[in-house]
Amino acid sequence: MSRRTRAAIAAACAAALAAVSLPSHAAAASKPTITASGSTSVAPLAFQLARGYLRQHPGRVKFKIAQGGSDVGVADVGAGRVSIGMSSRDPKPSDPSGLVFNKIARDAVCVITNPANPIANLSTAQIQAIFSGSVRDWSQVPGAGVAGTINIITRTPASGTQDAFQKIFMGTKTVGSTASAKASNGLVQQAVKDDRNAVGYVSLDFVSGTHAAAFNGVACDLRNAKSGAYGGVRNFWMVTRGPATGPVRTFINWIQNSSRAQSIVGTHWVPLK
Amino acid sequence: MLARLRQPWSDQRAERTLGALAVVVLLTIALMLTFVAIRAWPAFQHNGLHWFGAQGDVDQQISAMVNTGANPSPEDYQFGAWPLIWATILTTGIAVVVGLGFALLSAIFIVEFSPLALRRLLVTVVRLLAAVPSVVYGLVGILVLAPFIGDHLISAERRKSVEFVIQLSGPGLLVSVVVLTVMITPIMIAIIVEALHAVPRSWREGAVALGVNRWRAMWTVSVRVARPAILAGAVLACARALGEAIMLSMASGGKGFAPNPADGLTFAFEPLRPLAATIVENVESLNAPAIRANVYAMSLVLLVSTFTLSLGAWMAKRSMRRYGVAG
Amino acid sequence: MATLGLRAPRRSRHESLSSWRIRDRIGLALCWLAGLTLCAVAGAIVLYMAVRGVQFLRPELLFTAPQATLDQSKSGGFLDPIIGTLLLTVIGIAIATPLGVCTAVWMVEYGRPRWLARMVETGIEVVAGTPDIVIAIFGLALFQQGIFSWLSFTSADGAVFGRSFLTAGAAMSLIALPMVFGATREALEAMPRQLREASYALGKTQAATIRSVLVPAARPSISTGAVLGMGRIVGDTAVVVVLLGASLRVDPTGAIPGVDVLRGTGGTLTSYVYNNSPAGEGGAPEKAYAAAFVLLLIVLALNASVELISRRAGGGVLGLGRS
Repeated sequence: MSRRTRAAIAAACAAALAAVSLPSHAAAASKPTITASGSTSVAPLAFQLARGYLRQHPGRVKFKIAQGGSDVGVADVGAGRVSIGMSSRDPKPSDPSGLVFNKIARDAVCVITNPANPIANLSTAQIQAIFSGSVRDWSQVPGAGVAGTINIITRTPASGTQDAFQKIFMGTKTVGSTASAKASNGLVQQAVKDDRNAVGYVSLDFVSGTHAAAFNGVACDLRNAKSGAYGGVRNFWMVTRGPATGPVRTFINWIQNSSRAQSIVGTHWVPLK
Repeated sequence: MLARLRQPWSDQRAERTLGALAVVVLLTIALMLTFVAIRAWPAFQHNGLHWFGAQGDVDQQISAMVNTGANPSPEDYQFGAWPLIWATILTTGIAVVVGLGFALLSAIFIVEFSPLALRRLLVTVVRLLAAVPSVVYGLVGILVLAPFIGDHLISAERRKSVEFVIQLSGPGLLVSVVVLTVMITPIMIAIIVEALHAVPRSWREGAVALGVNRWRAMWTVSVRVARPAILAGAVLACARALGEAIMLSMASGGKGFAPNPADGLTFAFEPLRPLAATIVENVESLNAPAIRANVYAMSLVLLVSTFTLSLGAWMAKRSMRRYGVAG
Repeated sequence: MATLGLRAPRRSRHESLSSWRIRDRIGLALCWLAGLTLCAVAGAIVLYMAVRGVQFLRPELLFTAPQATLDQSKSGGFLDPIIGTLLLTVIGIAIATPLGVCTAVWMVEYGRPRWLARMVETGIEVVAGTPDIVIAIFGLALFQQGIFSWLSFTSADGAVFGRSFLTAGAAMSLIALPMVFGATREALEAMPRQLREASYALGKTQAATIRSVLVPAARPSISTGAVLGMGRIVGDTAVVVVLLGASLRVDPTGAIPGVDVLRGTGGTLTSYVYNNSPAGEGGAPEKAYAAAFVLLLIVLALNASVELISRRAGGGVLGLGRS
């Protein structure tokens, strides 16, 4: 390769890199950056909130939002790697000390079954019996549309949704050992869609293609969750190391108080007010 | 300085620089091994050799470790990885054995018996399949194959028979093995086809001249000569199968269960979760020391297995070197 | 056994099967069965992905950046994942190729002391067999140490994020290294000794021989190895998911244009497919199929270039990382 060709290729690479980075760099300069990492359930909401915040207060801060799971977010903010950790599970005693959990929204968790099995209603006792394995056959559940073994779908231990389900629905009982653990809401949704005998739990956004059973007589939808009638609601947190300061505090205050933020939250999640 | 670099280098300097780079590569690899071993040590320290055995429900142990958080006590490290190890042995073993047989026959077909027009097409397609990313296989496995098996091959009576222990749904041993076999076979086919092509024509023609028919000539001469390459291909495929994490975490059962061959046909549908898939699923919780030690211990087991495999293959190849042609 | 009689032993294509033993006939039947099954399975996979891809791929998906809305099936495209894939591949192969070539040259041409050469060879075999998830978690732990803070975003407290294009690229180079190393080594070993001896006879030193004779002659093989390594990088998901931060868009860090993209996070096509499949939270299998189709096209292009390079070099295609 001649020297000129080599120089041309190097120039092209530099131009390409510049083209990719300049549009974002042009506005970046020396703005404070708010970094966040954590729960994949909270991340879509965080993206929307960041966009809304930038629209209302343009040019104030820059956002960097990564994902990795609630535990990763809590650990990252505990070690100081990011300024906000996103968590979809409540604080655990094993979390690093000195963390402050700021609640930003709430999210409904629905118990879902296959569309061939449209159970109208499940009470707390029924859910506990089914998921703990004391009831093993659909014929023992009134209102079931199928017969046969119940296939329980749960989440892996690190999941915030699993933590919420355990606290809100199961109480002191534990999910039975025969349960199949899936790593994401989407996998649970897919498993329940594909299996007539399956039952599982997902966040409200993932019920399409399945049937969401009412919980203690209240249907699982956004309206009931917002009104407070639906009981299976869990918290979304933004975790900071110590009380939030500076641009992070302004951002979190904006989320918790401004009507604009609350309306963004209200599109798919339950606002605090 | 650039002018000095462009002057011809002395042999000594060139050797030293290149050697230094090679040593840098070696040091990085050694760093990785040491790192994994050090981080894996607490798991073996608290469990001893029982780490390789079965100490109860693997999933419960993992969730206990995740919940313990930052300051685990020695009991919290308890872990018996046998169900995961057995799942890895099953999936990898069955996939490689079935894949190897199929690859050998297909390679013979491609080289010897296929119509000429089909040959170029097949080789191209096989190369393409060997390069398809595993996430695509996982996508197809979970969206197409698992529902099909769950709906059509698993009956309600079968589910009832095991309902007190596990659940039977689509994802399980059969889906994992089928997709894994489809994933690793193209690699083996490509390697074996090249090795068969590399056999000197005169050797086969000699056999045919003696009156041996085409199949026998192929089998007794070419395949035998290509044995080192076949072995190399099998080892490569085995290493890929052992390390396959993403696809298996999507398409296997999601339960750390050790499938039991004594269960008869149900054995094929039982859920399982090999070592690499378990590592991927627990990457999130790596900050809790208990689970970190055990995840690194699993990584160490995988590293040692692949290393032992290549070592075994190297020793076997040495004994085959008398008639070897390729590899 | 077939009788030869007085005819010349011509191996005709229509040799009579009746002269074969049962065992051989069964073998032949199995071969045909295997071959036809291969055609069927390969055809099914290729057709399925093509149909799904064409069904869901719209041209604007290739040029629109992903939107962070909840309903992924209606919004945005995957321009940033495509850029991420290309960027990561370039970084990975840019690190792997010089290292691989130099190591292979050292091993073939010098290789002293012998124990060191054997250890290097073993080391590269170990890396070739390492699962990519193990390389990923090692990379994450390594690049979160303080000395590597320049590679990724560092917070005000000095804690290193550890996830960026540079760190993922470094891990990817480890994955592609065995391919480049193997291809270069095979090419150098296959070169006749007369080539080197002729160069020495003309008065060139060993170093100059390597630089001006051997390496240029090995260039087709090096390119093949590099392209094979690129194929492996393009298809890898585990390293991307762990080491690239999984942000939807390319997210630069810092103030220097160009370098800030490298230090920033992003996504690639593989992590995009993973996130939009049921395994992730995107919930848009249509986008996953479309992105998977684009990924397959890239892989196909890489494969075609391997064949082109080797054909131009005059046959002798090197294997898929045979050690």
